[in-house]
Amino acid sequence: MYRLILKMAWKNSFLRPARTLLVILMIAVSMSMMLGLQGLYDGMLKNMIEKNKRSDSGDISLYAKEYRIEKDLKYRIKDADAIKAEIEKVQGVKGVILRIKADGLISTARKSSFASIYGIDLDEEEHFGKFSEFLKEGENNLKKRGAIIGLELAKTLKVRIGSKLVFSTQDSSGEINSIALRIRGIVQTTNISLDNNALFVDIKHVHKFLGTTSDEVTQIAVMGEGTQIYDTLKTNYPNLDVKSFLELQPMIQQMQDMMVIFNSITFFIVMSVVFIGILGVMYVSILDRIREFGIVLGIGMQYKYIRLQIFMEAIFVGLLGYLGGAILGTVLLIYLRDYGLDLSSFSDALEMWGYEAVITGTIKVSYFTSTFWAIIAASCLSILIPLRKIKKLNPIEVIKAEK
Amino acid sequence: MIRLKNVNKYFYKDEPREVHALRDIDLTIEEGEFSLLSGPSGCGKTTLLNAIGALDSIDSGEIYLGEKEIGSLDEDERTRIRLNDMGFVFQAYNLVPVLNVEENIGFVMRLRGFGDEEIRQRVLEISTMLEIDKKLKSLPNALSGGQQQRVAVARAVAAKPKIILADEPTANLDSQNSKALMDMMKELNEKEGVSILFASHDEYVLESVRRVIKLNDGAIVDD
Repeated sequence: MYRLILKMAWKNSFLRPARTLLVILMIAVSMSMMLGLQGLYDGMLKNMIEKNKRSDSGDISLYAKEYRIEKDLKYRIKDADAIKAEIEKVQGVKGVILRIKADGLISTARKSSFASIYGIDLDEEEHFGKFSEFLKEGENNLKKRGAIIGLELAKTLKVRIGSKLVFSTQDSSGEINSIALRIRGIVQTTNISLDNNALFVDIKHVHKFLGTTSDEVTQIAVMGEGTQIYDTLKTNYPNLDVKSFLELQPMIQQMQDMMVIFNSITFFIVMSVVFIGILGVMYVSILDRIREFGIVLGIGMQYKYIRLQIFMEAIFVGLLGYLGGAILGTVLLIYLRDYGLDLSSFSDALEMWGYEAVITGTIKVSYFTSTFWAIIAASCLSILIPLRKIKKLNPIEVIKAEK
Repeated sequence: MIRLKNVNKYFYKDEPREVHALRDIDLTIEEGEFSLLSGPSGCGKTTLLNAIGALDSIDSGEIYLGEKEIGSLDEDERTRIRLNDMGFVFQAYNLVPVLNVEENIGFVMRLRGFGDEEIRQRVLEISTMLEIDKKLKSLPNALSGGQQQRVAVARAVAAKPKIILADEPTANLDSQNSKALMDMMKELNEKEGVSILFASHDEYVLESVRRVIKLNDGAIVDD
């Protein structure tokens, strides 16, 4: 019996092929667009998070207590080399990097601005976060008092590769000190604070300039995901301020939440379209066949079999739409992942908010599983009204009507 | 086999336009009968046929199928009675358009849970008897009206119901097809022993049946 019902459902799904194909196409296109949007939303955020981690905080950062509030060199981590060596031994840690930072004034012959000098080891930064990939102009080189400057800061100061500038700040002994530097590279990290304020200089020069020793730093950044590493560091270094990425970047947590809301709204809209599409095709299809249902009820077919048949018809339409949407969506997501969406015309606005001008998408299995269940649910819901119509059907009325 | 005792049926009951469609009907239909409900249009033939076939409810009286009273059953139970004990042939054939002839004939058998092999053999037997065995793989819309009505008869008889109720089965057929259909139904009645009750005013039907129950204004006037 079930085989026959399955066959009837399949054939009835294509009783009016143009109508059914149109609905399948509608589901497929709207679903693929939704998948594309989800991929882009997530991709935007993922890229932003990844670049922030690579260029700055890693997954976890350690600071001296009070440093994040006072931003004063007197709150610096001592014995950083030893701590670094210990952290590298923690299971799951992929990289550890030391940085020293001081806020001050950067000046050219004509302009000056607030800036932060970052003492970094370029080789280690490369290993930690592929620093060279952020390079927009010039070379990845800090030798001979070279400096790499954030893109927005370079624009503010109107400097180019080869320009000279002077950075002044208070050193560890409280004296105002200055260092002359030559720009060797310009970077764009999409980390707003780095692009607007950062001046990267070799850590050895910065130690000398600030009067600190080589194992004194303001930040130890750790790459390695998992709460276990975080918990271990919290336990092992109670005297340091251990912060996870999201604790350091509450805005990103907020943006993640916003993206979940955007995705949910998009999801709801698309699923409503799917629901209305299937409801429309099922309702019309049932009205077309009302006599047939009356007759089969009349000859003794139980309502539960008719319900099953209609359910299967809705599922067929929904699943074919899903299949089409999954194929189109996968193609779209692969394209967005590999080539991205070029929004260069809006680059200023996007970069101001830390997004890249070319947005690349991500692909997650969860996009497909959640959509699958949503389409099944939409298909099930869409047959409730048509089924009500059949439930009320009196076979005798149908038989009378035919005469 | 089927007994009706003092059956009454009203349409639009307690309204000004009330119609007393069946009046104090007392009727017995025995096993193997080949009978006709006849009378002018609107006399209550179809209403009586539907009441006997558990398609429609009655307002008073009793209808017995064997020893079971079926006049007061609810819709689910009536559906079960229709499936297990009745066969129906309608004026407009009413085949399932997406199923081929073989599947249409075996449809009621499938609903009743017969096995594949049993269905296959029975479909072949009935279709051969009704001369549609060459069309088993065809869809209904590829058949003539006469062929479609034979498929409807085959569907009604395949699951060996106690009675087949045929409402104007020849109304959409030409005289040649009407005669052929009635000959086949008579043969089925004789060979299969199935009771057949027609509601019709077709002369071919009138000529073929062994018993004529005449109705007028909802009451039996002659039997």
